[in-house]
Amino acid sequence: MEEKKRKPSFLARLFGNRNTQTDILMEEHIQSPGRMMLSNFLHNKLGMFGLIVFLLIFAFVFIGPYLFQIDLGESDNTQIHVPPINDMLTLPEGLDGNVQDIAAGATFGVGCDKDGHIYIWGYTKITDTIDLRNIPEEVLEAHIVSVAAGYDHVVALDENGQIYVWGNKRLGQDRIPQDLRVSRTKGGKNIIQIEAGYQCSGALTDEGEVYFWGNTNMCDLDVKKEYRGRVVKFAIATYHYCLLLDDGSVVYGGLEKTNAFNRIPEALSSDVVDIAATGDTMAGVKSDGTIIVWGNVARHEGEIPEREGTASAEDDEVVMTAKPLEIYGGRYHYTALMENGDVVSWGDNAHHQTTIPDSVHGAQIETVFAGFYQNYAIDVNGEVHTWGLKGHPLGTDDLGRDILTRIINGGQTTMTVGFVAVVISIIIGVIMGGIAGYFGGKVDMLVMRISEIFGAIPFLPFAMLLSAIIGTRIDVSMRMYLIMVVLGVLTWPATCRLIRAQILAEREKEFVTAAQAMGVREGAIIFRHILPNVLNVLLVEATLEFATCMLTESTLSYLGFGIPLPAPTWGNMLSGANNSIVIQQYWWRWVFPSLIFGVCTICINLIGDAIRDAVDPKSIGR
Amino acid sequence: MAKYICKRILYMVVVFFIVSFFMYVLFNLIPSDPARLELESIKTTLRPDVYNQMYQDLRESMGLNDPILVRYGRWLGFLPEKSGSFNGYLQANFGYSNFFKKPCVEVISAPISTTVFMNIFATILALGITIPLGIWCAVHKGSHRDNFVQVFSIVGYSVPIYIIALVFIYIFAVILRIFPVSGIGTPGANYTGLKKFFDELYYLGLPLIVMTFASLGGMSRYVRSAMIEALSMDHIKTARAKGVKERVVIYSHAWRNALLPVVTLIIGWFLGIFSGSLLVESTFGINGMGRLYIQSLGNHDFELSLFVQMFYTVVSLVGALIMDLVYGFVDPRIRVNK
Repeated sequence: MEEKKRKPSFLARLFGNRNTQTDILMEEHIQSPGRMMLSNFLHNKLGMFGLIVFLLIFAFVFIGPYLFQIDLGESDNTQIHVPPINDMLTLPEGLDGNVQDIAAGATFGVGCDKDGHIYIWGYTKITDTIDLRNIPEEVLEAHIVSVAAGYDHVVALDENGQIYVWGNKRLGQDRIPQDLRVSRTKGGKNIIQIEAGYQCSGALTDEGEVYFWGNTNMCDLDVKKEYRGRVVKFAIATYHYCLLLDDGSVVYGGLEKTNAFNRIPEALSSDVVDIAATGDTMAGVKSDGTIIVWGNVARHEGEIPEREGTASAEDDEVVMTAKPLEIYGGRYHYTALMENGDVVSWGDNAHHQTTIPDSVHGAQIETVFAGFYQNYAIDVNGEVHTWGLKGHPLGTDDLGRDILTRIINGGQTTMTVGFVAVVISIIIGVIMGGIAGYFGGKVDMLVMRISEIFGAIPFLPFAMLLSAIIGTRIDVSMRMYLIMVVLGVLTWPATCRLIRAQILAEREKEFVTAAQAMGVREGAIIFRHILPNVLNVLLVEATLEFATCMLTESTLSYLGFGIPLPAPTWGNMLSGANNSIVIQQYWWRWVFPSLIFGVCTICINLIGDAIRDAVDPKSIGR
Repeated sequence: MAKYICKRILYMVVVFFIVSFFMYVLFNLIPSDPARLELESIKTTLRPDVYNQMYQDLRESMGLNDPILVRYGRWLGFLPEKSGSFNGYLQANFGYSNFFKKPCVEVISAPISTTVFMNIFATILALGITIPLGIWCAVHKGSHRDNFVQVFSIVGYSVPIYIIALVFIYIFAVILRIFPVSGIGTPGANYTGLKKFFDELYYLGLPLIVMTFASLGGMSRYVRSAMIEALSMDHIKTARAKGVKERVVIYSHAWRNALLPVVTLIIGWFLGIFSGSLLVESTFGINGMGRLYIQSLGNHDFELSLFVQMFYTVVSLVGALIMDLVYGFVDPRIRVNK
């Protein structure tokens, strides 16, 4: 006991000054076993490498979830199987300071400069055969003045009023109405606005006529007769549209009698200056600066920032610094341009589409282009400021979920399950092994038979069976606990046998006899003399077992008998990956989870091996 | 020795009963009622009280009201059914698969041969590589090449087999196009005889490589450490001092001693690869026991699941028994002690 008090603290031993000169004999003399193990471990390069990498991964998956929050119900059909890219907001050089029009698509952006050249950037592959980057020859030659982007098609308008559509055309995206096919030079209409919905498009002429075409399934794209010739602007949501008429009122132009967009708020019947639409909502700005949102408001689109100076705005982080003039809609967010050249965004922020960079607030913004998850703001100097979805660093999966977010959150689940399972297994193992080793005789016999029965159960099939029978009747979080308990309960026999053997061996050693001879109490002998010797071995066992439990959990999840989807784990992220299409084309879906998981288990095993070598120097090189 | 063997066998039989009882109870937790199922078709034609009476009678005649221990006895074939005849596992009645509409034995016959073939083949392949590799590493302990193999073997036993499978599919089936991605046998081809065998072997090639590779890590490390242990013994020094050739020292003096722990390991490990093949089968879409088991659990075909589960249990018990016997055979202390 006195020996212990004189020892420097753990931190001092780790980082303290050790440069005091000692000859070899003294060094040998003062080095306690614990310190020797530590120095052995610290000098094991592989072990330290494993420890550092493991700690990095550990920090990554346990701090990461606060930065990358997961929405379990998330699924986004516009972001399916996007490869790892980070340049969705990176404009081509030609557009720099020369922007005429920009349209944002789901994973790409398309724009034209003041000279009529068209540019496209981001991830443009819609299917294996359709790539939006393959811009038709005629579009490249034409002088483009306006563009619009839908989910899988792009619409462009040239200076002669000719409309071009490319991309996916299978659902009638290019079925342009006959009236609009004639270019202005041949007496056609003068088109002043084009917009695109999900798979449909619309165009407005200077005579106040609107035309819609495209995939009409679920869409309400007809136009009521009474509004024809009176339209100033139209806004198109995913499947519906609304019109701003020349008398300053907003109307729903379609023929559907009852839907969420039909019930336009009373206030919008006059004085409206601008309208916009997100995927499921529509909004209008009145001349006095009030903004009104209607439709299926489910993603915070209705949380319009308060005007600066009003009582209710004091606590809000985002406020409107001036009267809003224009409004633009993305898929789940709105961006408004205000009188003073500032912009404000609100709505869903899952892709940071409402997090406006500080540089924007300082600049005098002239116009904004918003769409899907992207925002492009052009200031008076022609400079482009962007915010929103830059891309997915590790790609997305079959439901459009970000792989990085799932890896981080899945890692947390996998590690937690592995850790708790190890703790359960070690506790049972130590208690049973301790009882068996210490009491011996019939108790030993009984415990060992029980452990052999558990050992005789084929592990993986049995765990699957338990999960299949019990797992279907309990909810998801309970199922996670079930997996932990099943893993812990089925893996204890190994620990038990190890502890028992160790205690049996230690019990017979001379120092125990010496302690007994000195009259040390039985309990003290067990806890102070025998247990520390067992702890070393236990630490090795626990480390290696941790890796095994993580492997088993992920194996069960991989087979579909572990943690059920949509909750991510490193195992079930791979469960959809075992077919040739995913392996070949969507490599990011399995490479990244496999990589981090493989590295993690390798590191844990390296640490375990290093601890074993440190604890038992004899085993080095074995 | 005979006494030891008898004791172990007796013990294994006891463990079998305990484990199988446990399984049986577990499967009885599944809410299903064969009596209700039987009457479901005529339920609407009966008056409620008549139906109820029939239902109770049927439950009684099917023995569903008896204590679970009695039902377990019937299921195994130790106790007579209500009709007086024995009809359980001992009488080769292994249940009826509701999904395949066939007795379980018929369902299982094709997958079992695939699985056993795969496992034995993978074992032979793995042993053929790991034993020479382990010996070589032990002899060249500490060399760069040894360190290289050690690092690789850590990768081999740390990375789960299905990740290895994905990587191998990517390399060999997608990029190099040497092997098919999945399946067993060319679709639509009706090969016979030797051609069929080679076609199957071609499809099993990649799974076998994966299984072999996955077991390389752990096995070669074990052989290596056993060999190092053996090489450090005094009699090796004596042999070297006598001037015995190095080859003889390694393969005759040392390897024979290292063989004992390795032999016992091989059997235990052979059982381990049964669960490994479960993953490989499901990844490669091979119609084996593991895939059948996953399917049956997914289809709620529980009689089949129970049968496959019993198969796994018996395999593991027999393996443990053989391991015990071999232990006793190679190490006289064990059979004396017990």
